[in-house]
Amino acid sequence: MQRRSFITGSAVGGLGLFSGCGGGSVAADATGTAEALSASQRAGAVPMATTPKARVIVIGGGMAGTAVAKYLRLWGDAVEVTLIEKNPKYVSNIMSSLVLTGQRTLSSLTYGYDTLKSRYGVKVVIDEVLAIDPVAVRVTLKSGGTLSADRIVLAPGIAFDSYAGSYDVNRMPHAWQAGPQTTLLAQQLAAMPPGGTVVLTIPKAPYRCPPGPYERACLLADWLKVNKPRSKLIVLDANPDFVTEVDNFSQAFFGLHASVIEYQTNVAISSVDSASMTLFTNLGAISGQVINLIPPQRAPALVKATGLATSPDGRFAPVDVLNYASMAQSRVHLIGDSSATTQPKAGHIANQEAKVCADALSRFFKGQSPDPAPVTNSACYSTITRSQASWLTAVFQYDPASKLMTSVANASGASEGWSGDNFEQMNTWFKALMGDTFA
Amino acid sequence: MTHIPRCAVLAAGLALVAGLAQAQTTSTTGRLLASNCFQCHGTNGKGPGFDTIAGKSANEIYQDMKEFQSGQEGKGIMAKHSWGFTDAQLRDLSNYLSRQR
Repeated sequence: MQRRSFITGSAVGGLGLFSGCGGGSVAADATGTAEALSASQRAGAVPMATTPKARVIVIGGGMAGTAVAKYLRLWGDAVEVTLIEKNPKYVSNIMSSLVLTGQRTLSSLTYGYDTLKSRYGVKVVIDEVLAIDPVAVRVTLKSGGTLSADRIVLAPGIAFDSYAGSYDVNRMPHAWQAGPQTTLLAQQLAAMPPGGTVVLTIPKAPYRCPPGPYERACLLADWLKVNKPRSKLIVLDANPDFVTEVDNFSQAFFGLHASVIEYQTNVAISSVDSASMTLFTNLGAISGQVINLIPPQRAPALVKATGLATSPDGRFAPVDVLNYASMAQSRVHLIGDSSATTQPKAGHIANQEAKVCADALSRFFKGQSPDPAPVTNSACYSTITRSQASWLTAVFQYDPASKLMTSVANASGASEGWSGDNFEQMNTWFKALMGDTFA
Repeated sequence: MTHIPRCAVLAAGLALVAGLAQAQTTSTTGRLLASNCFQCHGTNGKGPGFDTIAGKSANEIYQDMKEFQSGQEGKGIMAKHSWGFTDAQLRDLSNYLSRQR
């Protein structure tokens, strides 16, 4: 179908040119040609074969799933790609803490799948996958019916643990998946009187976006100083120290924001009482007017039900980082936050894992082996105030001895301090990253 | 619309068709390496994002990366990134990016 429209587009272009030569005005020629060319470029950007050479089902339309669908169509030779996603739109987690301070709207962080469909010829199905048969390479949809393919790529993101006690996620929002939870936390912060106590918890690593909770704490501290004078922000970290960017976050927590932030490490939460807004911890009971409770994270239930969550703690899915095939089921690939690798769980590097997977699959469908030396990179900016940011980056090379992605020491690290320039660069980075993923 | 000679329009159209055909058979060496640049410089290095790198000469891109390594471009994020690749990898990704137009 796509190929037919591609050929049609070219033919129209050709006709336009020759009829122009036959005596039409030059201006008309130029206009007609421009239209014909852009039409053929649009339709022909990634022409779809009438008979696909291979079919791939991608489950999950976040940073990893959307990127793998796009790049399979860009790089694959006549690969038919079907993306299955629950929600008709994606709301970016990246930048979503800025919604809490009123600097961003959720709509400015919302992305659709139209370009994926029109420019790259990805088939997008808004539905939920109830079950995966990893041997038959088939999925069962909530709406009824099944889809089958040559390979499945799973990119389902994360799921959250619950808590003992009376836990109400709406009274103690995580806001760690952008959307209604973000709005809820923003409203609770706005409604808090001055001199209040906000509690933010950080789960044991690995969790999504290692610097994320610290940057949110810094941003909220800066916002509280101005908007809620005399307020306190208690940060309860399950980890023994800052998980990442230790220098910048130490300086911010203990220097710049010391009047607001109270930082506790090695905090274990045994139960919660959402009615009285209390957390029961190894430090005793801790209460607040607003509690941003970010729970421990794991791969969603579908990953476990498919038998893929075979990491020692049973939380994530080990993969071969040359092609991201599951270690448990070779026809199912897993990218992004639900996989167990040495790489951080974050959108920027999930995009690169998607490219490695797309490249490996397009080679596989041609009877070739994956690239034996893939490189991936992670990069992000952290808000230290409402107008200044730091950055953090890492480059990973494949190590054939350990079969792991290992970070290159002198290519990995953070900025020395923070700046307004970095905050500007953060906006450029975000725009580029979302463009490379969704457009 | 500006006045464009008809033959030039025709030639441009043919060149586009030839370009599409050529793109199908172009070597993929360096493509996956170069794709590490796309998150910040746009798909195929064509933006939107930081500096557009598509279509610069391979040598120019390679030399830029060596300058980032030397520290003469400051202590920004690229000073780190440039050390993430072997010299052979830098050559491959530069060659790939130089062919993106």
